[in-house]
Amino acid sequence: MSLKRYILKRIVQAIPMLIIISVLCFTLIQLAPYNAVDAMVTPRMSQATVDLIKAKYGLDKPAYIQYFYWLGGIVHGQFGYSIITHQSISSELVARIPATIVVALPAYICSVILAIIFGLIAGAHKDKWQDKIIDGLCSVGIAIPSFWLAMILIFIFGYKLMLLPILGMHTIGNESSNVDFLKHFIMPFTVLTLAFVPDQTRYVRSSTIGQLSRDYVMLQDAFGASRFEILFKHVLKNVVLPIITKMGIALPMLVTGAVITETVFGWPGVGPYFLTAIKGLDYPVIMAILLLSSSLVILGNLLSDILYCLTDPRIKGMR
Amino acid sequence: MNKKVISLISCIMILATGLVGCSSAKTTPTKTETPSSLIYGIDGDPGNSVNVITTGDRYGLMEIKLLYSPLYMYNTDKVVYFLAESMTPSKDNLSYTAKLRKNVKWSDGKPFTADDVVFTYNEMLKESNAGWAYGQLVFDGKPVKVEKVDNYTVKFVLPKVGASAMELLGNIFIMPKHIYAGETNIENSSKNATPVGTGPYKFQEFKSGQYVKFISNPDYFLGAPKIKNVIFREIQDANTAQLAIQNGEINALAVQPTDISKLSNKNKLNIVPYDEGRVGYMAFNLPSKTVQNKEVRKAILYALNRNQMITAAYISDKYAKPVYSFLPNESKYNSSDVEKYDTNVDKSKALLTKAGVSNLKLKLAYVSNNVPMQKEATIIQENLKAAGISVELLGMDQTALMENNKKHNGKFDMYLGGYIMGIDPDTFSSLFTTNGSANYIGYSNTQIDKLFAAGTTETDVAKRKVIYNNIQKILQDDAVFYPIVENKRILVIDSSIDGIKDAGLVPVYTFEDMSKLFYKK
Repeated sequence: MSLKRYILKRIVQAIPMLIIISVLCFTLIQLAPYNAVDAMVTPRMSQATVDLIKAKYGLDKPAYIQYFYWLGGIVHGQFGYSIITHQSISSELVARIPATIVVALPAYICSVILAIIFGLIAGAHKDKWQDKIIDGLCSVGIAIPSFWLAMILIFIFGYKLMLLPILGMHTIGNESSNVDFLKHFIMPFTVLTLAFVPDQTRYVRSSTIGQLSRDYVMLQDAFGASRFEILFKHVLKNVVLPIITKMGIALPMLVTGAVITETVFGWPGVGPYFLTAIKGLDYPVIMAILLLSSSLVILGNLLSDILYCLTDPRIKGMR
Repeated sequence: MNKKVISLISCIMILATGLVGCSSAKTTPTKTETPSSLIYGIDGDPGNSVNVITTGDRYGLMEIKLLYSPLYMYNTDKVVYFLAESMTPSKDNLSYTAKLRKNVKWSDGKPFTADDVVFTYNEMLKESNAGWAYGQLVFDGKPVKVEKVDNYTVKFVLPKVGASAMELLGNIFIMPKHIYAGETNIENSSKNATPVGTGPYKFQEFKSGQYVKFISNPDYFLGAPKIKNVIFREIQDANTAQLAIQNGEINALAVQPTDISKLSNKNKLNIVPYDEGRVGYMAFNLPSKTVQNKEVRKAILYALNRNQMITAAYISDKYAKPVYSFLPNESKYNSSDVEKYDTNVDKSKALLTKAGVSNLKLKLAYVSNNVPMQKEATIIQENLKAAGISVELLGMDQTALMENNKKHNGKFDMYLGGYIMGIDPDTFSSLFTTNGSANYIGYSNTQIDKLFAAGTTETDVAKRKVIYNNIQKILQDDAVFYPIVENKRILVIDSSIDGIKDAGLVPVYTFEDMSKLFYKK
């Protein structure tokens, strides 16, 4: 089977999955014990006005019709309007997704690089002091909630030392300055990187340990290859392969990967938008984001499958 | 040997990653903006799609207040005129005539006239627009008629006499006819993103999730604003916001009383509590059978300690004071001749014995992320325990609580809530009349219904006072509603900003007129 056909087949397979996801998202919201119209009515409004608002947003129709209204909009590239802020969801997402990517992607890449380095070292020195330090720090890292770390950084660098600005992506009126952007960028970037690193490091560590017991390592050892050479030339290749799969699956992180961190720093990404929507039960927004990130899960899987068979000749051969 | 050194270095690197941030940024602290702007931190999305017809949330209304002007504002029994110079009722109180200010210009240079006023009120009266003031411009199913007399005079004709008509006709912001004429969907109109108004500020820029920025309107009819820019900055996290106001990244912020002690550099900040007329209360949920007996309800109320609740939730009486009737203390109709249910545990126990109830178990619902309510709920639980009543606390989401209340499903026996209604006591009728849209208690008393109806059309102040005194007395005696507290909103503002008194602190909008604020030299 050619690669093209394989990709096409996977894409076709993904479509029913997407439909199932949209139905699931919609059903979950419908099961919530409240109605989106509540956010818009005040005690002063008459019942007639409340009914009018319901009719306006199609909330008086049965659930399955509401679902088709919404799906029809998506097909036309229209995510609809937030029923609370009345802004177009598409234009909000267009403005916010780049902001999330700009901090989440570098943090993720940086964390993968760090994780590979530390994971290899820890794995190669299993149960020695290097491993104990790295593994111990990873445990601490996993245990630290990112909002707490963010608050600590803000308190030290933003408030006590006054070195870095606390809020947002730019100083207002200074949007074109790169230095200003970098100052705002450092703290959220650090928090996100530290949030991603421990988990990845452990992953690399355990697969390094697995690889080191393989025959090819023993062979290289017998040939007199240095430890460094074995680790970074041969083991690395095998460890990086599953990392590629992980990176594919991490694709939705570009949308929802930094919800908490963004909220703490007032970073104008998808995170605060999503949280506000959940609090106000702004269901068009919640569904748009859920649909987007779950679609990215499917696309990410697709991507990692394809990358996997491009990079690993053994898998290519199996098809 | 070499390898060991490498791994040691790597381990040091792991420790250093956390510090990478500071080493590369050893520059002077960022001075945010020149003092030509005021940055107000808010915990929600201000949006840039505000319009005077449907916008109803606090931050949207704060924008409206900057961009547009009403004829007049009806605040705490004081009328402040903006686009109107006067508003006078006819002798029979069936019509009101507004004289408009001349030489007012829209921000695009076009003159403001009576046509704009008539247009705005008529759009508000269009049912399909679902405007916020629709309900109050319709009396008994008949709409108010708005007529243009000449270019600077507008007449409002009421279908019947209304004692609170002056309030009900006010607080509506005027939009430009030459922009919005023919617009069928005002709520989602693209024109909302480029507003044309008569307010002290003009829209400059909106950055989704970040801020909305306004620039002063030099042609503002009450004099050009002194601060060049006003910025509403979105900060979702309360802790971040508190640190930001302390390091000067923002200049104004609303906080909870419990947060005040956390502010360290108080000399740079002014703490300004002000009244919003909000009444915080506990009410019974009458669909629940447990509390349908009046004696039982009274027994519960006598066991409560209002002052303990206020101290726990608002620290001191500086930011909150007790309230004993459904009307805020400032209301000129507030009556002190009511049963206050001062704490009396013995009386409570006696009433319970008399009602033949023992082992009373109650459920109390409240909004779980509302800190003052959390504290009040715990005190209520403690108070009632002392009277031998056990209480289960049901913390829930605001919308979920509302939904349960609207369905009258009796899932709990009591709940905590709060409201900011209007100034006139008539605006409170929806809370307690049998068919009132906000009657979540499930309360029905024909006497109360009749009295509220009488109050609407009675224009003699002394007679109205008798009516509303009666309502307050009956309501407290029925023991369905336990007013707890009238709390203040606490504004923390940069102490170099002056003119707060002239700008005027008002409910919802924060400032009556931000053009009066200025930075001290």
